[in-house]
Amino acid sequence: MIAPNPSEKTFLVRIKRQDAESQPAYWQEFEVPVKPAQNIISVLQYIAANPTTTSGEDVEPVVWDSGCLEEVCGACTMVVDGQVRQSCSCLANEQLAKTGKDHIELEPMTKFPVVRDLFVDRQRMFDNLKKVKAWVPIDGTHDLGPGPKETPEQQEERYAYSRCMTCGCCLEACPQFTKDNTFVGAQAIAQALYFNQHETGKKLKGERLDELSGPGGVADCGNSQNCVKVCPKEIPLTQAIAKVGRQLTVHAVKNFFSAK
Amino acid sequence: MPTDRTTSGPTATVRSLLDDNHFLLRRLHSLSGIVPVGLFVISHLFTNAQMAWGQDRVTGKGDFQHEVDFIHSMPFLYVVEWGLWGAIGFHAVLGLWYTFTGKHNVKRYSYADNVRYLLQRITGVIALVFIFLHIATLRWRWDLFGWFTPFYGKGYQNPIVPQAFHDVPMSLPLTAYALQISWLVVLLYVVGVTASVYHWCNGLWTAAISWGLTITTAGMKRWGYVCAGLFVALMTFSCAAIYGALSFDLGQDMTDDQLEVFELIVPESRVPLNISGRH
Ligand code: SF4
Ligand code: SF4
Ligand code: FES
Repeated sequence: MIAPNPSEKTFLVRIKRQDAESQPAYWQEFEVPVKPAQNIISVLQYIAANPTTTSGEDVEPVVWDSGCLEEVCGACTMVVDGQVRQSCSCLANEQLAKTGKDHIELEPMTKFPVVRDLFVDRQRMFDNLKKVKAWVPIDGTHDLGPGPKETPEQQEERYAYSRCMTCGCCLEACPQFTKDNTFVGAQAIAQALYFNQHETGKKLKGERLDELSGPGGVADCGNSQNCVKVCPKEIPLTQAIAKVGRQLTVHAVKNFFSAK
Repeated sequence: MPTDRTTSGPTATVRSLLDDNHFLLRRLHSLSGIVPVGLFVISHLFTNAQMAWGQDRVTGKGDFQHEVDFIHSMPFLYVVEWGLWGAIGFHAVLGLWYTFTGKHNVKRYSYADNVRYLLQRITGVIALVFIFLHIATLRWRWDLFGWFTPFYGKGYQNPIVPQAFHDVPMSLPLTAYALQISWLVVLLYVVGVTASVYHWCNGLWTAAISWGLTITTAGMKRWGYVCAGLFVALMTFSCAAIYGALSFDLGQDMTDDQLEVFELIVPESRVPLNISGRH
């Protein structure tokens, strides 16, 4: 394998590796030459091509996940120097300047099962979207015609929630979302609101609220507000939590007086 | 991991009972902290703040005594008291349970709000221990490690006080004695009261989100100022109370009647009484 040219400037990358969810995690360190404007994905590509640790050991290439490479798919989300973020939009030299260290630490997200190394399985998020019925019910055997109109104000508010890319940052940083509980977290709550506010999506509002009032629902939020701070899409998650909280309060009062 | 409902036995019954009433329990938890406990604490701290005004040199009466008398004259006081215990107990049991379902992460995400989240849980535990110690010593008059601080609102509440002294107001001197016994007690009160007040004010702030009262970031901020204002006000009352209790000179400020009752109730005062030069 090509060793870094000694005259080249380099930095270290420490990676927390794991062969599978059931296997123990271990750290490995790699030396990577400094290149202008390289993101973490290109750093990982370099390591894949040169899988030799700083102690001279030839190892299996590090596994990671990515897709769009422009911060819209969420697949490359991992923990960089202790903070969850998309690795494709993380430039190595900026990251080094930000931390002031000579190395970068990469870890897989801790709230999802590890597939391998930095690659995690975010299935729980998609299951939660199913749980809260995050869709517009338009399936049928005949043409339903055009849906009701939405006001520009509604569109503007809903646009913010539509930006979610199911990356999992909000859940990774949430103290109430753990591997062994059922909390759905800010992402599914915001998506439930997104569809509750949709003129046709409203048809399922009651069912969504029933789901969100059960175990793992909105009431499990502890209001630490980490989610809104780490969301790369700047989705107003705490407002969404409060708005669904209000919908649940109204829903519960209505149910108390008029449910059969 | 979804909750396993197929297992049977008492744990499973409790589990499904908790799960089936999840929303109701969470909201009752919020409500039980704010309304009975919170409102009581506000009025209690306000009452205590009156200690700062001291008492009448001749009659021993004062605003604090007046309010203590008012509380003791309330009908169904025991019902009120047990209602409060019920609310605190419910709030504490569920609160502890909820605390351990989360996993704090301030080390990685050191945002102020995240610290607030952790503080809410820590202060809750401190408040619980403090309230217990406070009630055990001053209300139930338990002797904890020699820290015996008997509180009687008036002479008649203590069976050993003779008929003639039944009307002697004792609230201020005995509260003052309770705190002056040791600086450790003062420390306990400062920490305990601060934790309780913080817990309540912060709970008020987050409850507005949970119930859906403050649904915009700006609204949360405005409500935050209100809660911070309440925190400052309640802390001012508490400081006034502690100042009142510490500045009361047990040897000089008690009336003659109070001194006699005091010596009956506390035959061996742990606070030296300087009675030289009394009228
Ligand atoms: S506000 Fe709620 S959902 Fe968001 S990080 Fe905190 S506990 Fe999690
Ligand atoms: S809400 Fe934001 S942080 Fe959470 S999954 Fe969506 S985009 Fe990611
Ligand atoms: S690869 Fe799609 S967000 Fe990074």
